[in-house]
Amino acid sequence: MAQLYFDDVKEGMDIATVEKTPTTKTLVQWAGASGDYFELHYDKDFAQSMGFPGPIVHGRLEAAYLTQLLTDWIGDKGELRKMSVQYRGNALPGQTLSLGGKVTKRYSEGGENLVECQIWVKNPEGKEITPGTAVVALPSK
Amino acid sequence: MVELKWASVDEIKALQGKKTEKVLGIDQHMINLYTDCIGDPNPKWKGSAPPGLITTAMISSGAVFLGIPLPYKRSVAAGTDWEFKKPYKAGDTLTTSHEFFELQDKSSDKGPRALMIYKSTHKNQNGEVVAISSNTIMSY
Repeated sequence: MAQLYFDDVKEGMDIATVEKTPTTKTLVQWAGASGDYFELHYDKDFAQSMGFPGPIVHGRLEAAYLTQLLTDWIGDKGELRKMSVQYRGNALPGQTLSLGGKVTKRYSEGGENLVECQIWVKNPEGKEITPGTAVVALPSK
Repeated sequence: MVELKWASVDEIKALQGKKTEKVLGIDQHMINLYTDCIGDPNPKWKGSAPPGLITTAMISSGAVFLGIPLPYKRSVAAGTDWEFKKPYKAGDTLTTSHEFFELQDKSSDKGPRALMIYKSTHKNQNGEVVAISSNTIMSY
């Protein structure tokens, strides 16, 4: 996996978009892996009783995808320091989600090279259903 | 497993500050279940734990463990904040302190709505803080 260096990062730089298509099987896997057995994510009748068309994708699964977007981008020597996301829309299993980001700030603090980014998950209509921010620490060349 | 319960806003506010502690051993099987699910084949996660693992419900969700009732019929995750302080790996034991921090009543003429905020601190077997997290559940 390529290593990203602080020297190569510029404000406004894009994080390459990655697509994920969580299926109902993925939601079952997530329940087992995460311990989140809330029926909203696998029981159609329960989901409909709460006013949803059917089971919806776990917000934390979308957040997990975003952590992968970042750890893949920063390489082995980079470190994810902070991440915040807001869940503003729902994704349905089978939909292809686009994950991406953009560098908003690049600075040094306390002897560390830090980069702030906007990050997002977009649904197939292009709506940002899970926007957020992140801070990563990067090595210098 | 979450057992859904309901109560009034005032009854739930009386539970603000309720805490619990959970201990969880991190092993490679747990890491594999996580990386297989999200499709993350990074070889770094053989031994090292991906930061995202700590964001999963079994570790970071006070809502799962504290059993605080909900004020309204529907509820969804509204947002999360994480601060990753220190790497962790298979073989580590995480002790997480969960707190139901507060209920913010946001009801208006558009309808009932409340934000329920949970805060968690995750420490390793040496007592070092590995991560701090905050999760918000919206009930409406």
